[in-house]
Amino acid sequence: MIDSKKDQEVMIELKDLHKSFGQNQILKGVDLKVNRSEVVVIIGPSGSGKSTLLRCVNYLEVPTSGTVTIDGETITPKVDINTIRAEVGMVFQHFNLFPHMTVLRNITLAQEKVRKKSRQDAEQTAMELLKKVGLAEKAQAYPDELSGGQQQRVAIARALAMQPKIMLFDEPTSALDPEMVNEVLDVMRDLAESGMTMMCVTHEMGFARQVADRVLFVDQGIILEQGSPDEVFSHPKERRTQEFLSKIL
Amino acid sequence: MSAPVFLIYKKKMSFDLQLVLDSLPLLGLGALVTIEITAVAVSMGVMIGLFVGIAELSRYGWLRVPAKLYVDFIRGTPLLVQIFIIYFALPVIIGARIDPFIAAVSACSINSGAYVAEIFRSGIQSIDRGQTEAGRSLGMSWGQTMVTVIIPQAFRRIIPQLGNEFIAMLKDSSLVSVIGFEELTRKGQLIIASTYGSLEIWSSVAVIYLVMTLSISRFVSYLEKRFNGSKKVR
Repeated sequence: MIDSKKDQEVMIELKDLHKSFGQNQILKGVDLKVNRSEVVVIIGPSGSGKSTLLRCVNYLEVPTSGTVTIDGETITPKVDINTIRAEVGMVFQHFNLFPHMTVLRNITLAQEKVRKKSRQDAEQTAMELLKKVGLAEKAQAYPDELSGGQQQRVAIARALAMQPKIMLFDEPTSALDPEMVNEVLDVMRDLAESGMTMMCVTHEMGFARQVADRVLFVDQGIILEQGSPDEVFSHPKERRTQEFLSKIL
Repeated sequence: MSAPVFLIYKKKMSFDLQLVLDSLPLLGLGALVTIEITAVAVSMGVMIGLFVGIAELSRYGWLRVPAKLYVDFIRGTPLLVQIFIIYFALPVIIGARIDPFIAAVSACSINSGAYVAEIFRSGIQSIDRGQTEAGRSLGMSWGQTMVTVIIPQAFRRIIPQLGNEFIAMLKDSSLVSVIGFEELTRKGQLIIASTYGSLEIWSSVAVIYLVMTLSISRFVSYLEKRFNGSKKVR
């Protein structure tokens, strides 16, 4: 079921990824391949390294050792990291919208600066995306006039405006009031159905079960267990996975 | 002997309003020069400060170390000594006299630059790291992120400190009177040299400085309100 609808083309490949902050080893050798259109959900206890793992994919954290390959291109000091990042959208826990710009400008800025699109083209793309996330009427608003859920939807639109090949979500609903979680998850669900390659760190197990092709359980800096949502949630093999799931489900 | 001295003393105690009125045009000219030198110094200071402030945050040592040295040296030595170095010591090296206006403006600009650099550095550091990460994750370069995302936000935050620096510079510019540059303080000294009206002139000079500094601080609060206003509902 996993593979039938997905291409076998590898979009993200992590090889023996290590990351330390000083003496503190966060990632201790992570290997991972994510295929085109695959939706991978990463779960795990706090401090397990799951966010760091995600942030290594677009090099917001530079791995201590190991390699990251995005759509066939391995990141080395010689590669222009900005061109790779433009292909990898990221959505943050705290939205990180630019507070001094309108919603529209938030979405057009990088299109103009990175993709070199005209203001008109960029605005057209932005308006289409805002319609898609249901916020077309907020184009001229400032981020602090929006609710958390609305801000996160704008942040998703901002990332999508770059027409990325991959989307990363770092606990996108963790900072939201409970009643706003679903509006964001709905947008993510649509995105997954449209065939976007996605990696998502989340505590929303319902979402993971429903949308994920594969669930990774990360603990103490390694991928301890992985499989389909049913395998991981209903029949976890590792004891630590069982303990973690019994605490949160 | 005591009677004449007493008389002279008496005479000095009176406040000659006419002298104040007569001196106002000259003092006004001096005040204009003070504003000119301050405006140039702070504008240059903001440019130097922005550059140096960013350099201080650079991950490259060849940028960061000289920036830190500059800031430490300027903030660690008196402006008066810096003025002397530029006006008296530098000509020894370059073998040419330096125009007092050039000397005065350069000393003040270089001095202001160091303080403004620290203001920019702390302003930039006060912006949430997530802002840089958001900009970079969209594929914008470090420079693009700085210019479009970080500096505009930092600038709003540091308006009050920049205002304070402007006021401090305006007052400190009185120090360039020591190299004979005729700004407000020097004009006052010159008038007193010919009229002996210390009380009248120094109090006038003080009032003129006060009017200028208060105007600046009013203007700064206005700017602050305007910028904060645009962030909220418009």
